[in-house]
Amino acid sequence: MLNQSLYSYKDALDKEGIIFTFCGPISHDIVEGVGITLKSQMQESDVQRTTAMKVFAIFIEQVQNVINYSQERNDFDSDMGMGIIVVGEREGKYFIVGGNKMQNSKVAILESNLADLVAMNKDELKAFYKQKRHHNENDESKGAGLGFIEMARKASEPLTYSFEKIDNESSFFCIEAHI
Amino acid sequence: MTRLQIEKTKSSPEIDFNPQTHTHLIAGESYPENTTLFYDPVLDWINSYLAEGHEGEITFNIELIYFNSSSSKILLDIFDMLDETKNDKISVNWIHDEDDEAMEEYGEEFEEDIKHIQFNIVTK
Repeated sequence: MLNQSLYSYKDALDKEGIIFTFCGPISHDIVEGVGITLKSQMQESDVQRTTAMKVFAIFIEQVQNVINYSQERNDFDSDMGMGIIVVGEREGKYFIVGGNKMQNSKVAILESNLADLVAMNKDELKAFYKQKRHHNENDESKGAGLGFIEMARKASEPLTYSFEKIDNESSFFCIEAHI
Repeated sequence: MTRLQIEKTKSSPEIDFNPQTHTHLIAGESYPENTTLFYDPVLDWINSYLAEGHEGEITFNIELIYFNSSSSKILLDIFDMLDETKNDKISVNWIHDEDDEAMEEYGEEFEEDIKHIQFNIVTK
């Protein structure tokens, strides 16, 4: 019975420092609603405005990534994507994690793009951001891959990510940013 | 040319483009569900407006609190369109809160790529 284990689930989340987590179909309403809630929550707990805006910005890029790129969706052109978003705080540092299913065939290219990103310093990230913003090289990507660069620029540590193979078709992609 | 007015929502900015006063505004937050769908009419309006070739001063006030990465690309497209006119009577005022350093830096990054029009970073 779930009602008997729900407290231990909540308790486990609390112990991890998780402020908010969502698993399921992510829509634009979630982006707006949770984004605004998250901002108010940080304002009420007197989080520095710059930090709060960084957390908010990374949250937006994470959820919009899941909506746009999750392989798991009702229809190819659905406005929702299935995925997981976790926002938490541990020892004064915020973490924002996003995860969704993706096609195995797209893993190699994303993995190599992300490996390039995490090796860049802030100046290189800025130059890369400006370069990508000018070009439409990557047609597959609605934001020219700018979202990940934006996350990397806002984060105070390099992004970490993983790909877990589910079966012959799909992998689970997870990316984490710290502030 | 008719005035373009779009009310702001939680995730899309207020647009008020006024072809009588030649002072235009984009203000609020920008992370719309579908960036292209939201900004296409905005870009189309600017295109037709610039084609009319107004000879006096033209001002674009950009007063954004937050914009996501795909909106950032659109903003660059807008500034490129304005800059390509090579008309130094066009000015962009990038307006940000005094204590919002991130927004100030974003403004500076746009400014770096502008060659012909005036780009002013303004605190309010």
